[in-house]
Amino acid sequence: MPITSKTFVRSTALLLLVGLLALIGIVGTSIWLTDRSQVYLDEVIEARIARRAAVDLRASLLDMETGQRGYLLTLDESYLEPYEAARPRVLEQVEALKRVLAPYEVAAAPLQQLEADVTFKLAEMDETITQARANDVNAAIARVRTDQGQEAMNGIMTFIDSLISAVDARLVEGVGNQRSTGEALRIVSIVGGLIILMVVAGAIWAVLSYTQELANARRAVEEANTSLEERVRERTSELGKANEEIQRFAYIVTHDLRAPLVNIMGFTAELETSVDEVKTYMEAQETAGDDPLASQARIAATEDLPEAISFIRAATRKMDGLINAILKISREGRRQLNPEPVELSEIAETSAAAVHHQVAESEGSIETDIRVGKLITDRLSLEQILGNMLDNAVKYQEPSRPLRVVIRARHVPGNRVHIEVEDNGRGIADADHERVFELFRRSGSQTSAGEGIGLAHVRTMVRSLGGDVTLTSSLGEGTTFIINLPRDSRAFLGRLGA
Amino acid sequence: MNNARPVTIIMVEDDEGHARLIEKNIRRAGVANEIVPFANGTEALAYLLGPDGTGLVNKGRQLLVLLDLNLPDMTGIDILEKVKSNEHTRRSPVVVLTTTDDQREIQRCYDLGANVYITKPVDYEGFSNAIKQLGLFFSVMQIPETD
Repeated sequence: MPITSKTFVRSTALLLLVGLLALIGIVGTSIWLTDRSQVYLDEVIEARIARRAAVDLRASLLDMETGQRGYLLTLDESYLEPYEAARPRVLEQVEALKRVLAPYEVAAAPLQQLEADVTFKLAEMDETITQARANDVNAAIARVRTDQGQEAMNGIMTFIDSLISAVDARLVEGVGNQRSTGEALRIVSIVGGLIILMVVAGAIWAVLSYTQELANARRAVEEANTSLEERVRERTSELGKANEEIQRFAYIVTHDLRAPLVNIMGFTAELETSVDEVKTYMEAQETAGDDPLASQARIAATEDLPEAISFIRAATRKMDGLINAILKISREGRRQLNPEPVELSEIAETSAAAVHHQVAESEGSIETDIRVGKLITDRLSLEQILGNMLDNAVKYQEPSRPLRVVIRARHVPGNRVHIEVEDNGRGIADADHERVFELFRRSGSQTSAGEGIGLAHVRTMVRSLGGDVTLTSSLGEGTTFIINLPRDSRAFLGRLGA
Repeated sequence: MNNARPVTIIMVEDDEGHARLIEKNIRRAGVANEIVPFANGTEALAYLLGPDGTGLVNKGRQLLVLLDLNLPDMTGIDILEKVKSNEHTRRSPVVVLTTTDDQREIQRCYDLGANVYITKPVDYEGFSNAIKQLGLFFSVMQIPETD
């Protein structure tokens, strides 16, 4: 049965709660039951004490009565020994009984009766013995025969017997209570134990099935990952092919564009040569009268034709430049990139040295702050990228202040590096931040010659290494180009080649 | 040039303008040899190897072939291959004159026996100079007879 993480958390929490409740139940009941059995035990002990006191009292009274009777029969003092021995104990024993029974209000009235009976009995026995000692045995016997002492004794005995049987019943009840408490404790322990066992089993089952579920999910993710990578590889290779096709297309187109251009330029040159000859001739004929046709022809040969030709030449030269630029980029795209370990700081130094002369002219400086080690990338591309950036920095510096360029490189997460080229040049207007990377587009006042291919070329090269280039700039303050490259381009290049 | 054995220049160039410019500049360099132009590969091959394709037709002539690689009906490489593999024409020098500067293409042409490979420079002065110098080169070079 599948288990989602939510149900897992819920069921585990529920099981833990149930287990906790069961445990609390067991502990609570145990404490309560132990308390109960303590109470029962106390009661039993109390009952035993009461029983003992009652039995002692009965024994003492019987001892005394036996002594009294023996003495009255024989008048032998030796029969009085048990009497004398028990006599002092009786009152103490009554007191003890009273103490034991003090908490029981029911026993208060019978106790009073008992005390009265005991007092009366003691008095009766003392009296008979005194009479016998005074040789008035008959009076003593007559006193006994009143049966008043007997009645008192019977009352005492009844009390003690009923007390003993009550205490015995109590003892039996106490033991019964104790047993049922123990039984209850056992049942609670068993039930609680079973619940805890079930909870543990449930928890184990939940954990196991959840782990199983996790393992399945991980396997599924791994499979998805593999197929995803496969798909990415396919797509990348398709893209690579499409890209290659486009570059091939550009290459062929530019080649085919060149052929007619050669004609235009060639025949323009021929035309120029011819026009030169005509012009020379016309100028030699300057003085040949004022025929309007002749002067028009002269103007055409000496001014209009050379002007037209110069425009044609300028236009074709421009077009030639553009075609060359496209050709260069497409050739760059077709070049086999060769990833190798490259020391970025070395390339930065070399590139800086290449423009050192121009920078020094305006008292500028180039600093490098390279904090990355070797990159695995195409050396030539990297040289061209940095070279282009520095050329641009020199070309578009702000003439009113000395040029400052800083080349920085840092590691960034994802096994990549950021190379920043910061200058204090004239900057690029916000609207042109993206445009400057487009082919044949330039930004700002066109103060220096250029075809507008440098940054397009840079972007093409950076992308072909698996990176990207962006810029931040504020007009009049400077520009920072940020090149983001993988530390190792092999994976990217390998994928394209696959 | 040696008048006793006149060298014929076979120019295979589909672009008429280029053909004309080449001819003009060769003439400017003082080369007066006959130039036979062809605008496609089929006709050029028919002329070079004869209708039977054996090359016997040109036996005993001195031929120099100026070859463009981009032709409408075949590539110049096909012509180069046929000329260089024919026993009668294989010693004739072939100058490849084309817009392509692809390294593999250049290597391929030399592998097939091209004698000179020249990339047409796009700037006209360069082009014109190259042709003139080629013409000067023609005026002094010795061309073997086909056999």
